[in-house]
Amino acid sequence: MRHPRTTRLLTLLPLASLGLALTACGVESDAPGVGDDNETGAEAAAGTGAGDCAGADGEYLIGMSQANVAEPYRQQMDDDIRAAVGEIPQFEVALADAAQDNAKQVSDVENFLTQGIDLLIISPNEAAPLTAVVERVYAEGIPVIVLDRKIESDSFTQWIGADNKEIGKAAGEYVANELLPDGGTVVEIKGLPGSTPAQERSDGFAEGIAGNDGVEIIATGVGDWLREKGQSQAEALFQANPEIDVVYAHNDPMAEGAYLAAQSAGREGEMEFIGIDGLPIPSGGIKAVEDGRLSATFIYPTGGREAVETAEKILIDCSTDVEKEWVLETQLVTADNAADVYTELGGQ
Amino acid sequence: MTATQTPAPAETMSERRRFRVPERFFALQSYIGLVLVFAAAIIFSPRRDGEIVFLDSNNLLNIVRAVSEIGIIAIGMTFVILVAGIDLSVGAILGLAATGAASLLMVNDFGVVVTIAIVLALGLAFGALQGLITAKLGLQSFIVTLAGLQIARGLARIWSGGQGIPLAYGDGPGLAPESFALLNSRVFNGLVPIPALIFLGVSIIAILVVRHSVFARHVYALGGNERAAKLSGVNVTAIKVTVFAICGMLAALAGIIHAGQLNQGSPNDGIGYELDAIAAVVIGGTSLMGGVGTVTGTIAGAMLLGILNNVLALNNIDSNIQLLIKGLIIILAAGLQAFRSRAR
Repeated sequence: MRHPRTTRLLTLLPLASLGLALTACGVESDAPGVGDDNETGAEAAAGTGAGDCAGADGEYLIGMSQANVAEPYRQQMDDDIRAAVGEIPQFEVALADAAQDNAKQVSDVENFLTQGIDLLIISPNEAAPLTAVVERVYAEGIPVIVLDRKIESDSFTQWIGADNKEIGKAAGEYVANELLPDGGTVVEIKGLPGSTPAQERSDGFAEGIAGNDGVEIIATGVGDWLREKGQSQAEALFQANPEIDVVYAHNDPMAEGAYLAAQSAGREGEMEFIGIDGLPIPSGGIKAVEDGRLSATFIYPTGGREAVETAEKILIDCSTDVEKEWVLETQLVTADNAADVYTELGGQ
Repeated sequence: MTATQTPAPAETMSERRRFRVPERFFALQSYIGLVLVFAAAIIFSPRRDGEIVFLDSNNLLNIVRAVSEIGIIAIGMTFVILVAGIDLSVGAILGLAATGAASLLMVNDFGVVVTIAIVLALGLAFGALQGLITAKLGLQSFIVTLAGLQIARGLARIWSGGQGIPLAYGDGPGLAPESFALLNSRVFNGLVPIPALIFLGVSIIAILVVRHSVFARHVYALGGNERAAKLSGVNVTAIKVTVFAICGMLAALAGIIHAGQLNQGSPNDGIGYELDAIAAVVIGGTSLMGGVGTVTGTIAGAMLLGILNNVLALNNIDSNIQLLIKGLIIILAAGLQAFRSRAR
């Protein structure tokens, strides 16, 4: 305790900075709105369909708030957005990753507001916790495009996503009509129990194969979306079932896991493997189809390019004619078109 | 309450005199760091119409709001680390508290005050139990709280059936009282977020406790040298139970705020928050060996991390690069710590 006074004063510094932040408000700003009012005023045009719009002469910052880039599908979504924005000179994109933390995603969106973004693209980690902050953005007249997962209000400009049930149905129809027209046995490996996509991909598939009485699901396993879990589940299923014609997995990694299990049992030639997602990355389903491990995969589109398309329509074309929902179609990928689709989707 | 005040029987006077200058620097490292990061944030902040975006009052308040939960947890963590312990369960307790609060409000139709009291008591009891096991069985708190982490997550999942419980406000059964929504609101002209005020309140109380209580003196004594503290009459078990109880209760408080801010309590809330809290404590200059450190340092550490996150985001720094920068800052702070213990 040589210099009690200096030490004491300095220890108060963080508290002072806390206090500074807490009191700074009254001095500078008199409106509860965030950021600069002129700019958001102009954007109100795009968000609500009134007022003027700078169009092609303007420069625009788009904020992209991602739930979790650790998931390959979401990394791909960001990559798609980055690529599409790169083609439009007036656009710049800021990307934030919430790393699966709702609280972080709220902060990310707040930071975007501070930066004065002209349009928000968000793929929410969960609906309820993100609803309030998305409503706040939308209330400021900033257009909001919601990707994949929804929010619990209609305070957004457009939702873009795919229909898992339709994709499951497409997979079922492909099995019923193309792979097993004369009937046969199917093993289904499901995603995480309780997750909506797993339920929908299962229901859709059942609907898809209903047209062919000869096709029968003889066993199901649960792979939790994971390659290793798909592999161990398939191993057990292969042991129990000597005759399997098709393995349908709710995503490509589990289908690949099942393929590995078949390979180690020496049975990979006896059956066909199909998955869902079809990411245009080296470890994705399209490459697996191209390399002959999977017979088919069904694209689950990220909506990234479509989101930028809508952004262009709103900000550059000054259009107010934007559909509230944009449901994306899947695409069948087989050995015939795998290489083309891979390039088309921007795979490297 | 800075390192220079700490009773550290191992040091002799001559050693202390020899290394006085660096020691004083270490005691102040987090404040110096905070000033540097604040200055860097101003310099590197994007500007709009000549205004520094970082200094926008809303932005500064957003930072405090974003930091509040980790800050409150980190204050509790400071006490635990001061007795040379660690608490890995705080993120899970936050999740348990958020889930519990949402469930009590929505499913049990309890009032706000009762709910908050029950959840705080739950956090307190959970922490106290961990402290008791650590002290009585002589176990490493690392292991005890690692187990506590699993148990709290498991309880949260069981409590909620594995799903998040969304909050809906209104009168009547199945709805939460409107007053709980205050946690997601701002006062003083709609500017100051309530969680930031709670953080400020907790900070002030913690600083007063550290400065003026016998309890805090015993915490430092225990962290500095457990045997010596015991011999001089400090009730080691009571102190350990108390610090873990404080830590658990503050984590539960953060969980209540979390549920209020995000309109939902989910068993997955707060994953990894223990690491952010530990990072704030370490950057704040508290030694993981115990006995040395301050609550104000921790607050500075938490603010530093918050400001860093904010200015990196304002500049659109890639999220992967952000991880690298944050990692390097922690290494830097911990590196200074290592240098200190060698110097002593």
